[in-house]
Amino acid sequence: MQFVLRRLGFYLLAFWVSVTLNFLLPRFMPGDPVSRMFARSQSRMTPEQITQLRQLFGLDDRPLWRQYVDYLGNVVTGDMGVSISRFPTPVVEVIAGQIGWTVLLGGTALLIAVVVGNLLGILAAWRRGGFLDSMMPPFLVFVGSFPYFWLAMGALYLFGVSLGWFPLRHAFSAGTSPAWTGEFASDVALHLVLPAVTIVVVSIGGWMLAMRNTMIATNAEDYIVMAEAKGLRPGRIMFRYAARNAMLPAVTSFGMSLGFVVGGALLTEVVFAYPGVGYQLLAAVQGLDYPLMQGIFLTITAAVLLVNFLVDIVYVRLDPRVRVS
Amino acid sequence: MMTRFRPVRRAARVVALALAGTLALTACGPGGSGDGTEEGAAPLIIPREDMGTFVRNFNPFSPNVAPMTQQAVYEPMFVYNPADGSTTPWLATEWSVSDDGLQLTFSLREGVQWSDGEPLVAQDVATTFELQKEVLGGYEYLDKAEAVDDATVVLHLNRVYSPALYEIGQQIIIPDHVWSQVADPAKETNESPVGTGPYTEVIRFESQSFDLGPNPSYWQPEKQKIPSIRMLAFAGNDGANLAAANGEVDWAPQFIPNIEQAFVARDPEHNHYWFPPTGSMINWQLNTTKAPYDDVDVRKALSMAIDRQQIVDVAMQGYTYPADCTGLSGAYDTWRDQGLADSCEWTQRDVEAANALLDDAGYPRGGDGNRTLKDGSPFTATISVGSTSSDWLSVAEIISQNLAEIGVEASVDAPDWSAVVAGYEDGSFDSGIVWSNNAPTPYQFYRGVMSTATVKPVGEKTFENYHRFGDEQADTLLDELAATADQDAQHALVNELQAEFDARAPVIPLFPGPEWGAYTDARFTGWPTEENPYATLSTRAPTTVLVLTTLEPVQG
Repeated sequence: MQFVLRRLGFYLLAFWVSVTLNFLLPRFMPGDPVSRMFARSQSRMTPEQITQLRQLFGLDDRPLWRQYVDYLGNVVTGDMGVSISRFPTPVVEVIAGQIGWTVLLGGTALLIAVVVGNLLGILAAWRRGGFLDSMMPPFLVFVGSFPYFWLAMGALYLFGVSLGWFPLRHAFSAGTSPAWTGEFASDVALHLVLPAVTIVVVSIGGWMLAMRNTMIATNAEDYIVMAEAKGLRPGRIMFRYAARNAMLPAVTSFGMSLGFVVGGALLTEVVFAYPGVGYQLLAAVQGLDYPLMQGIFLTITAAVLLVNFLVDIVYVRLDPRVRVS
Repeated sequence: MMTRFRPVRRAARVVALALAGTLALTACGPGGSGDGTEEGAAPLIIPREDMGTFVRNFNPFSPNVAPMTQQAVYEPMFVYNPADGSTTPWLATEWSVSDDGLQLTFSLREGVQWSDGEPLVAQDVATTFELQKEVLGGYEYLDKAEAVDDATVVLHLNRVYSPALYEIGQQIIIPDHVWSQVADPAKETNESPVGTGPYTEVIRFESQSFDLGPNPSYWQPEKQKIPSIRMLAFAGNDGANLAAANGEVDWAPQFIPNIEQAFVARDPEHNHYWFPPTGSMINWQLNTTKAPYDDVDVRKALSMAIDRQQIVDVAMQGYTYPADCTGLSGAYDTWRDQGLADSCEWTQRDVEAANALLDDAGYPRGGDGNRTLKDGSPFTATISVGSTSSDWLSVAEIISQNLAEIGVEASVDAPDWSAVVAGYEDGSFDSGIVWSNNAPTPYQFYRGVMSTATVKPVGEKTFENYHRFGDEQADTLLDELAATADQDAQHALVNELQAEFDARAPVIPLFPGPEWGAYTDARFTGWPTEENPYATLSTRAPTTVLVLTTLEPVQG
């Protein structure tokens, strides 16, 4: 219990630091949201409108410390203000509208990559030098080192344009509305395949290699030899004795990655025009939309810290050593 | 013992199920996808490349309004078309300016109804201007809009201002009976808009696409031939260009590089494009608060060194033409002083004359071939362009090569646009490739490049006249131009402004910005073309409504 409390305190501190950075960094960038908007409109707005827009957006000349105090207050109460680049939609609504798709895409891709990657790693290490062990890692690393953008574009052209197997864009067909029907669910799933598979393809190699390496180290442990000597079935030794212990680092990375899922997958969203938080964040940074930027960063920070905290707790359960120390 | 296997087994089963599920979904392939045309008639599909997702906000006073709000939902009193210089009466049938120029009277069209069935009345116009001033600003010259009777509205100006007619006439009109009930017009999202436009009904709104259906009480029902309009959201040009090349969208208003091969060649019979040079003039702006750019001879010499033909052919892929010394873009052809334009000197490439001009002006060439300024320091230039504008980057590269021929070392600086623009705004930049003001008359353009009223000192932020050049002669001409309602007098003044621009070279004009636009006539016909320029192919311009009311589905 003391362990959990200590971790909790650490996370609160980390949260405060990132929230503060989150406040400061955007304000170090040159320009302000209205002049960004004006520059982007390239003469379609008149200079007279700028002062008015400043007032409209509630941009203010309050001293920085004052803004900071108010900002901290807002963070605590969960009031993230109104988005500037999406004025007058509240930040919470902008994020809420997209985060479902982001979690669906990122979560699906991550889950498949982790499960399949770890299974491959376990099997490869178990039969060292076998087909899986000698062929898969080089191949996956080869595929994974392609620039993602290129790979995604290639997949889009091959499977979307040339073969026509998958839709080219969006999370579901234009002209349909979300509904709890099998038809809509399969439409969504079909649209999810290409974006998710491309993410899986580039990320699975890392999972497999990491798992394989720890697994090899674990296989050399005395208790594995002991288990074999006892005559346990290989499958049981592989999963219950070796993999369970080799799994610990993977659990940590899984936690980290899971937290970052809410940040969105910018390149995937751009290539497949998939709705999500990633492009929102890019647009917010480009447009100096402080409230939206802060909102998204806050969501990411909170998610990463929360998931890590949960992982820490799971660790206590998985690894008895943590409980003791 | 067996029981301890369970968790693993169960996990393995879940994985297997998930995989099988994925495979099953994969297998159902193209059969499972419908392209959503269940209404029967195909909608007019338009991509929007710079919005990853849409937000349901049809508030015309919002700076981030959903696309088509100002084109398909709400309408102006008249439509000015820069492609052929014509004006089409729209919600107003006629208008007049009083003799003292202080009153504009508009007569509204009879029989126009809002999409909720209420008639259009003069009070709607009055409320529009009141709200516009209150929420978004602008219209400083407008005292008030007064509804004289149901069909007549008079706008009282506080000073004579000739560009007012176009600005007021093109303002989109909102219904008083709806907006007078709105508590805070700035923050209203207006989810189900009531407008006079041809397509006002939101059939479906998702963050990645939305459909607008026909207005049931439109005032020219015979022109609503498009079944509905569907907007698609794209996070960048690539996706939108792919959709266009694939023939999945009807109208592609975004920039498509190498359009002949990437788009037209995919279906030469149906795919077409037209890039009228009616965008804003693109200039090379020199910070005239700095030496040597404060010297008109330097500006002209630098201009003469530039190979505009190469810029147009290579950097802009031949989609526009070189600028002349009037500085006017293709949108102002009716205002151009052709005599002056034909005898331009400093916008023609002439390296020899440029060298001679710089020699005479006191910028000698050293032994290494590089020039020095009057204080003896090297003559160098930095050209700033935003890193994302690849076409303008090559423009800057070409200029930099050209300048080497006259002994000026120019480097191209390409950080993020925001950093570039921040430098423009506070006047700390050296030089840059910059757009200019674009309005129905040349008044705003000339005001933005050479009136003292728009000059701000270095360090103070400005949003036009970044190069900070002011000319009192131009001020006088601009004031006179604003104060006269007489067409002939206006043309005479604009001629004088062109001469003044030619004499002072406040900026170095490069080429008129093309208005991008491509379309396929496989499903809809009646598009504006170079031969029939009744509008531009922009989907964000006031002329868009003209296209929407002209297109008709291909029969059969």
